[in-house]
Order: sequence, then C-alpha cells, then structure tokens
Amino acid sequence: MKVDRLIDELGATLREQQARAREILQLPAEQLLRRPSGGAWSVLEVFEHLNLSSGIYVRGLEDVFAREAARYRANSHFTPGLLGNWFTNGMKPKADGAIGWKMRTMKMFDPGRQQGASQASIGRFIEMCDRFLKLLEQARTTDLNKLRVVSSLGPVIRFKAGDAFRFPVAHQERHFLQIERLLRS
Amino acid sequence: MDRITEDPDLCRVDIVRRTLERYVQPTEAEWELIAPCWQEHAFSRGTSVCSAGQVEQWFYIVRSGVQRLSFPHDGSDICVGFAYDGSWCGEYASFVTRTPARFDVVAVTDSVLVGIAYEDLQRLYQELKVMERFGRLILEELLVGRALREIEQLSLSAEERYDRLVKRSPQLLQLVAQKDIASYLRMTPETFSRLRRRR
Repeated sequence: MKVDRLIDELGATLREQQARAREILQLPAEQLLRRPSGGAWSVLEVFEHLNLSSGIYVRGLEDVFAREAARYRANSHFTPGLLGNWFTNGMKPKADGAIGWKMRTMKMFDPGRQQGASQASIGRFIEMCDRFLKLLEQARTTDLNKLRVVSSLGPVIRFKAGDAFRFPVAHQERHFLQIERLLRS
Repeated sequence: MDRITEDPDLCRVDIVRRTLERYVQPTEAEWELIAPCWQEHAFSRGTSVCSAGQVEQWFYIVRSGVQRLSFPHDGSDICVGFAYDGSWCGEYASFVTRTPARFDVVAVTDSVLVGIAYEDLQRLYQELKVMERFGRLILEELLVGRALREIEQLSLSAEERYDRLVKRSPQLLQLVAQKDIASYLRMTPETFSRLRRRR
C-alpha cells in the first residue's frame, strides 16, 4: 500500500476520533460513568483501556523513531506484516457493523484492575492522538517496513512500524463503536 | 428527580447551592459569581482522586459515590476517613498549604464530585464576605469533627466504635471493603468480622 495514502487515512481517522472525544468530554458525568449490566465498562473505562493499550504503541513508536528512523531512507510503499495485518483486520467490524471476533481483555489493559478512569482519561486520549499524529508526519521520511515495535500482545510479537499505527487505530475504532452503543443505551 | 439529572448544569449548581446554604445564604447576585466556579468531575471506581505526593488542586462536594482517604504505612493502607453524598472530599491539607498531599483519596464506588479550584475559592473568599464566612464555618465543622473522632478513637472500645459507625453511616457497610472499615475503626479485620457476626 502507498504510505502517503495510509498516513492520510490514519490521520483522518485519528482526527475524527479526537473530535468525537472532545464532544463526549462535554457530556454529563453520570452518562460517562453509567455501566451497562453484567459489569461491562463505562465510557470512561473504555477510554482508559485505549490509553493503556494504545500507549504501548505510541511509546514504542516514539522510541524507535528517535533511535532508528534516521537510519532508513523514505520508502513510499508499505507491506503489512503477516501478524500485524491479521490482527488489524480482526479488529475491523464486519460490513453490517457487527464486531468480528470477540477478544478478552488482558488484565494489564483492564482499567478496573489498573488505575480506574475519570474525565482525565478522555483528556489523555486526546493528547495520545496528538502524539500519533505527530509520529505519522515523521513516518513519511523513513521506512515503515524496516522499523519494528513490540506489540501489546507480548514481547514475542513485534509489529512493523506501519502495523504499529494500523492496529491501535483500528482497535480504537472498534471501541468507538462500543462507546456509541453505550451512549445510546 | 429524573428531570434534574437530565440537565447537568442545573444539577451541578443545585448541589453546590444546597450544600452551601446549609451554612450561608448568598444573594442572587452573589450566586452569579459563585456558581460558575464549580465544575463536575467523574471518577469510576478504583480511580485516584488525589494521590500522595501531588498537590491537591480541588476542593470537592460529593454528589454521588463514596471515596476513601488513606495513607500507606508498612505495606498496607491505613484508612482515616470516607466521604459520601453531600460531604466534602479531597486532600484538604494539601489544598490549603499548596504542598504535596500526604493522603491518597480514591473513589471506592463510581463517583461524581463537584469541585472548585484553589485560585477560584481564594478569589471568592476575597471578593465575597459571605464566602469567607462559609470558609470559616466549614473549618469549624471539620475541626469539631476531628476532635470528636479523636475522643472516640481513644476512649471507646472496639465494640462501641463499631456500633457508632453502624448507627451513623449504615450505608458504608454495603459500599466499602470490610478491611477499609476495619482500618478506619482501628481494629483488625478479624475483630471487625466478629463484631459484624454478633448481630
């Protein structure tokens, strides 16, 4: 796939997510805290979950860009890795909007077992999107095939830098569907 | 009740007004200055409202939920108090001294707090006599509360301390972990559960 197009698409999705997060931040506190039955997450907890899981990629990308990005010449083409592609596609909803395969959250990404969630979680999410957007601009000048980032699935699985953008953005997109469902209920 | 919660702004002002009017009666003109200073904050259960080491920026009124005030000691947390509907919340000593907090404040249930920032409260104290009076009255109340608790801690038996709590705040037993209540009452979790089974 063309890197320019990939970056533009991911950037547009991130900006949409940021804009929606800003709107959600204005909603009444009770609505953000409301928990559906069965102990599922509230809107705030979904945002904190995204901070915990996407945070792995933002930090990983910032780190590898700072250390290694200058070593590679700009490559205008990106070929997704086998695992990176598989996990990214698994995140995407089906054509009818239903969620493809369900996943269980690992404990380390469960806000309830970590530090909980508040409106500050939404603020941190908006900032995190800014960091992704900044990294996306830097990405045009290096090779997203060569740089690798440890994935959130454990240290054994490393994603190509291009997938370290695609996977968290798709994962966030999936959870925005959940957020909209929560706000409608 | 439903209509109130549907309008968050009315609700935010409402709780501030109801709480402050327990102490002072500002005029409508004064309310116009007071009300906009208060902001709503949502914390899901388990979230830190203020952690030891950071400077508390807010003085809160609790709209809903229960929060725990504690400090770490010898590898466990010593619980010194709870805040719930209509009471104050936050790390007050840090808030007034602008120095790092000694206590952790944690939301033990989903909580909505309505808070005022330090600078805003100081400004209101300076500009409005009625707010300065409010500040003095809540301090007096807090001080009397502390003194009473100190007497209870030192003079009452474990059983009496337990009975007082059940009488004063029965809802806490449902909402808060037993080990936190035991720690608050300065007894072991074993003593606490023995007293609980007694009835």
